[in-house]
Amino acid sequence: MTTTYRWQWLSARVVCGVLAAILAGTTAAQAHEIGTTRIVASFAPNDTYAIEVSTDASVLLARLELARKQPRTAPASAGDLQRGFDALCDEVPRHVSVAFDDVARVPGATCLVDSAGSVPPDNLSALGVTVTLRGVIPPGAQTFRWRYDLTFASYSLTVKSVSRTDETMWLEGGQESRVLAVARAEPPSHAAVAGSYFGLGFTHILPKGLDHILFVLGIVLLSRRLRPILWQVSAFTLAHSITLGLTLYGVISPSPSIVEPLIALSIVYVAVENIATSELKPWRVALVFGFGLLHGMGFAGVLRELALPRSEFLTGLVAFNAGVEAGQLTVILSAFLIIGSWARNQDGYRDLIVVPASTAIALTGLFWTVQRLAV
Amino acid sequence: MNRLVSLSIGRISTRLRRFAPLVVTAIALSAAPLVAHDMWIEPTTFSPEPGAIVGARLRIGQDLLGDPLPRDPALINEFVVEDGEGRRPLVGRNGADPAGFLRVAVPGLLVIGYRSHPSTVELTAEKFNQYLKEEGLDAVVALRARRGQTGGARERFSRCAKSLVLSGSANSTQGDRSLGFTLELVAERNPYAMTVGQELPVRLTYEGRPLAGTLVVAMNRSDPSDKLTARSDSDGRVRFRMPRPGMWMIKAVHMIPAQPESHAEWESFWASLTFDVPGAINAPHPSRR
Repeated sequence: MTTTYRWQWLSARVVCGVLAAILAGTTAAQAHEIGTTRIVASFAPNDTYAIEVSTDASVLLARLELARKQPRTAPASAGDLQRGFDALCDEVPRHVSVAFDDVARVPGATCLVDSAGSVPPDNLSALGVTVTLRGVIPPGAQTFRWRYDLTFASYSLTVKSVSRTDETMWLEGGQESRVLAVARAEPPSHAAVAGSYFGLGFTHILPKGLDHILFVLGIVLLSRRLRPILWQVSAFTLAHSITLGLTLYGVISPSPSIVEPLIALSIVYVAVENIATSELKPWRVALVFGFGLLHGMGFAGVLRELALPRSEFLTGLVAFNAGVEAGQLTVILSAFLIIGSWARNQDGYRDLIVVPASTAIALTGLFWTVQRLAV
Repeated sequence: MNRLVSLSIGRISTRLRRFAPLVVTAIALSAAPLVAHDMWIEPTTFSPEPGAIVGARLRIGQDLLGDPLPRDPALINEFVVEDGEGRRPLVGRNGADPAGFLRVAVPGLLVIGYRSHPSTVELTAEKFNQYLKEEGLDAVVALRARRGQTGGARERFSRCAKSLVLSGSANSTQGDRSLGFTLELVAERNPYAMTVGQELPVRLTYEGRPLAGTLVVAMNRSDPSDKLTARSDSDGRVRFRMPRPGMWMIKAVHMIPAQPESHAEWESFWASLTFDVPGAINAPHPSRR
């Protein structure tokens, strides 16, 4: 039973390997002589590495005996094999090369024959052994290189680490691997996290958030003075901070299919009101606050897609918000400077600038509303 | 060959751990991979009962210590057995070791053959030269010298492995036969009807014609480092006196300049022939086993 299982297990792995090799090798139309050895190197967050070599037990034992210049034994059971490995396992590290940043390291080795029962000698070739090579990753190590000299066939090397996807490559016995990056699990500093999320928030407005830009421009256009603009922007910021936080913490979970068209509609509203009235109505600030709540839910979608880690949650949230704020202020100041106080105080300002620009903004917002409803 | 180099490097590296960066550089420079290795067929038994199922294990390695090569349809060109009733393919499951199985239909001598599609390797100058020397490929060494080639090389290689299995009792009328492989070793005497110390003539052919002047090596499972070597004569023939019973492998490598469209400079063919020389029963003297 055990033997059959072992065969199937080996075969399944080999078939996968062969298929992968065929796929990888199609361009060259070349087939490699792929053996049954499979190696997985794992870099753990606690700065240790473990390299698991799964290979044919009797062949490996014979090679180790040869290396030690010992007579070749004829193991007749898995127990015999295990006893052989118990005596020779520490020979394995002499025939591998583990190097971090081109400095050789000598790992410790443990050898475990896959099955414990007694197996007829004829089927011993189907028995596997797993050699685990362990050691400490030197602090600050950036690269890893590997070589395995105990097979003459091609084998697969899979590199696993917490912070990136597994990578598998084909190597020949005795062939030095290319230089591989050691993915460090070391958490980045708060400053680095804050910096990256600030940048994310900023670019979410400038240049990526044209809808938010138009909304803010709509606010700028209505007033000739800075004070009401700052009032509205502050209300907007406070509001979107609230909903961004609530959404990220999972207190509310608004559907984007509702939020996104409403954001577009809020742009239309602000622009239309700019055309309809020249005065800052008292309810405008309250309305902008309400729209801020909507926009905050929109921002949350972006952050959620990035799967903000728990440990970076608050830092990320505050920094993202600050980035959004900086983006908005950049838009406002730019608009203020471009339009200029001279233009703002001319008689034709409203007719020549506010009404046409607001019309364009309203039409764009309307288009987006329809577009987002259609999705 | 490759192995010896890497073993000695292993020893050096443990001794000079203090100079590890230096050593790693040395390893990177010297441990060029991919020197092609022997490939042979190791049947689950050399003496099956009639009606029995025999597994043909494919092995890659050195000194008859080989890694399993599971069945890979991308590599197999021909994987057959020929007996008194003709030739038929070996069956098997892709990815499995043994790579092929056969059922002994009629007693007699069975010839198992595996011919691969070519694989390509890229070798550094150092490795390629070492390999040419070790496989006795003097003609290629001379040709490279004449052409002023000193660098590394891209080589295409194919396997032409055979194995002889006997079911039932041996007699001298049974014989190995040609399977039509590109490079092929054919035993001209039934090794199962031989006794230890008798002479076994073996013929090497390339594309069906005798191949002269090629290094042919024979090695035994119980002491693979004690190799018998001979150059094939003008009839492509070598003669070996097997000093001990047990599993033997005879091998030869032939290399020619590759066709331009093969994207390689050299093309090699690796022939091997495995069989078992009877010991205790047929041997006139008690064997060492």
